[in-house]
Amino acid sequence: MTDPVLEVRGLRVEFDLPGGRLPAVAGVDLTLRRGEILALVGESGSGKSALSMSLVGLNRGPRTHISGEVSFGGRNLVEAPESELRLVRGKDITVVFQDALAALNPLHRAGAQVAEMIRTHRDVSRAAAWDRSVALLGEVGIASPRENAKAYPHQLSGGMRQRVMIAMGLANDPAVLIADEPTTALDVTIQAQVLGVLERLRADHGTSIILITHDLGVVAEVADRVAVMYAGAIVEQGTREEVLFAPQHPYTMGLLASVPPVDGPIAARLPAIPGSPLTGIDRPAGCAFAPRCAFAHDACAERPALTRRFGGPGHLDACVLDEPARAAARPEGSRS
Amino acid sequence: MRRSRPAVLVARRLLAVPVVLLALSTAVFLAMRLLPGSPATALSAGGGQTLTAAELSANQARVSQALGLDQPILTQYLRFLGDLVRLDLGSSFYGSNSVLGLLAGALPATIELTLLAMAIAVLLGVVSGVVAALRKGTWIDASARTVATVSFSLPWFALGVLGVVVFGVWLRWLPVIGRLPNALDYHPTTNFVLLDAILQDRPELVLPWLRYLILPATTLALSMAGFITRIVRASVLEVLGDDFVRTARMKGLAEGAVVRRHVLRNSWLPIVTVLGLQFGSLLGGSVITETVFSYPGVGSLLVKGVLQRDYPVVQGAALAIALLFTLVNVAVDLFYLVLDPRLRKG
Ligand SMILES: Nc1ncnc2c1ncn2[C@@H]1O[C@H](COP(=O)(O)OP(=O)(O)OP(=O)(O)O)[C@@H](O)[C@H]1O
Ligand SMILES: [Mg+2]
Repeated sequence: MTDPVLEVRGLRVEFDLPGGRLPAVAGVDLTLRRGEILALVGESGSGKSALSMSLVGLNRGPRTHISGEVSFGGRNLVEAPESELRLVRGKDITVVFQDALAALNPLHRAGAQVAEMIRTHRDVSRAAAWDRSVALLGEVGIASPRENAKAYPHQLSGGMRQRVMIAMGLANDPAVLIADEPTTALDVTIQAQVLGVLERLRADHGTSIILITHDLGVVAEVADRVAVMYAGAIVEQGTREEVLFAPQHPYTMGLLASVPPVDGPIAARLPAIPGSPLTGIDRPAGCAFAPRCAFAHDACAERPALTRRFGGPGHLDACVLDEPARAAARPEGSRS
Repeated sequence: MRRSRPAVLVARRLLAVPVVLLALSTAVFLAMRLLPGSPATALSAGGGQTLTAAELSANQARVSQALGLDQPILTQYLRFLGDLVRLDLGSSFYGSNSVLGLLAGALPATIELTLLAMAIAVLLGVVSGVVAALRKGTWIDASARTVATVSFSLPWFALGVLGVVVFGVWLRWLPVIGRLPNALDYHPTTNFVLLDAILQDRPELVLPWLRYLILPATTLALSMAGFITRIVRASVLEVLGDDFVRTARMKGLAEGAVVRRHVLRNSWLPIVTVLGLQFGSLLGGSVITETVFSYPGVGSLLVKGVLQRDYPVVQGAALAIALLFTLVNVAVDLFYLVLDPRLRKG
């Protein structure tokens, strides 16, 4: 569980917009270790998808500027040419996208879409690829995979579509699987099943998984480590226990406070962090969360680095508050 | 289960065909009789002889009676319908050729013309539209769009005359009148030249046929090609932004495979719809083009029939064109079902 599979250093992703450049990812350092499930959490627009797409250059384009380092297999993928990156995509690093209905080709059968993934990287016959894709569909828990492989996406349920995406994601036994909110659109039972599939995948194949979500319940259930993202930067990072039970950053604390009690009233589901996330082109020089932070003071005018402060050895945060202030800020129930 | 739905859909379409045709033939029937001038006037003007007013009107009365035009319109209409049901379209007022016989010669000529035009338009339009979309924002895109817009706004008549003048008169590369050289010994079996060339084992028919067909077909195709270019470009650009295209890239597919397997197939849906709708205007254009090139198709037949007030010929030609249009749209529906599994569920 210790050797790093993927190392991200100083990653920036900027989009050209009519008014200027939007720093969707503003300098991210992240390490993904072998066989771990790393949860990437943050509000909508914090740059989770932009970050994960850029790892394999899926958002490359004339209006996107990606810089920094993504080391994988001894190479910097940010600098790798498309022709080289193609060999990594779908084979070593795969992505399970957010909206499975949109992410599947409506005109191709489910099994064929999985089979295409296989045949892109392996020299096997059509029939062999089909058989393997049927087996994969069975593996991710799709009932009567032989029949459902022949179905078109619109004929499958949301949960089945998401599983087809996952089957596709693991078709070539990747080292890294990025799952972008794989359970958001699903009901709780199906959600649990899909998470179970991811856990089994990690256990059986040693796959490293980046699990993007804004659902802290999901994090609590399956994540080994957690990285909290705000306005394109990681503000806190640590083990699941560290981040969920001893949060160091006021933003993480706010996120935790906004988690509704399981059977609580609807009002409890309203976000507890006042203000709205920073998504515009203009960013303050200092801490990006300061404008919304109840504990902001003069020292926040300078951007704090993500480093170990008051947490455990691997528990990093980007906040200048001292320990007593943090303890006072922590919501009820998460105090360690 | 899944299979019966498209059949139902198409059957419903086919059931609508007779209704459409009945409405159309009624409209044509009335329009012809409401137009000023009657076939009797045209027919009874004795060739070269000067007739007295009395002789003329006696002639007209005799002709009217012979053609049944002295009957009340309702009677004429009922008889027309009765004949129509028995698939008897009557015969021309001039030379008494049966309308069915005339159509048997003219319809294949028009089908050949419109199909080749369609093929040329689709080829030009799809290629330039796809290239423009993939090279969006470059000079290639800009010039493809300019050419498309220009060719889209060229009227058929002007384009036809231009073709005749440039290729027929100045360059003398291509024949500009008719369908086949007069000297050619051609005894039609089906009246589809390509088909007959195969059936009669006469490959030497193909080249002269193409030489005659290419200019009118291209004339007819150009404006449609411009239109298709714009539709294809827009459609491809839209599909390129779809999530499943990103999935295809995520698989590690080369860009060529992404475009071929994922983008193009999904772009076809709106394109096919547009093709079906545009076929109507293509048929309209074929009437003009056939006239410019004296091409012996249904369009020429229709124009000549209208000018001569040859009611049965006009009615037959209009019916044939309408039938062609409806059948193409049924074919488009079928094609749609083949292309898009989402529609098969109904
Ligand atoms: N291709 C793009 N062009 C321009 N802006 C983009 C592009 N992709 C993302 N953005 C912007 O970058 C920011 C981060 O977007 P991203 O999709 O990464 O957020 P996210 O954290 O995944 O949000 P969500 O939870 O809603 O999926 C947003 O402000 C978004 O509008
Ligand atoms: Mg996202």
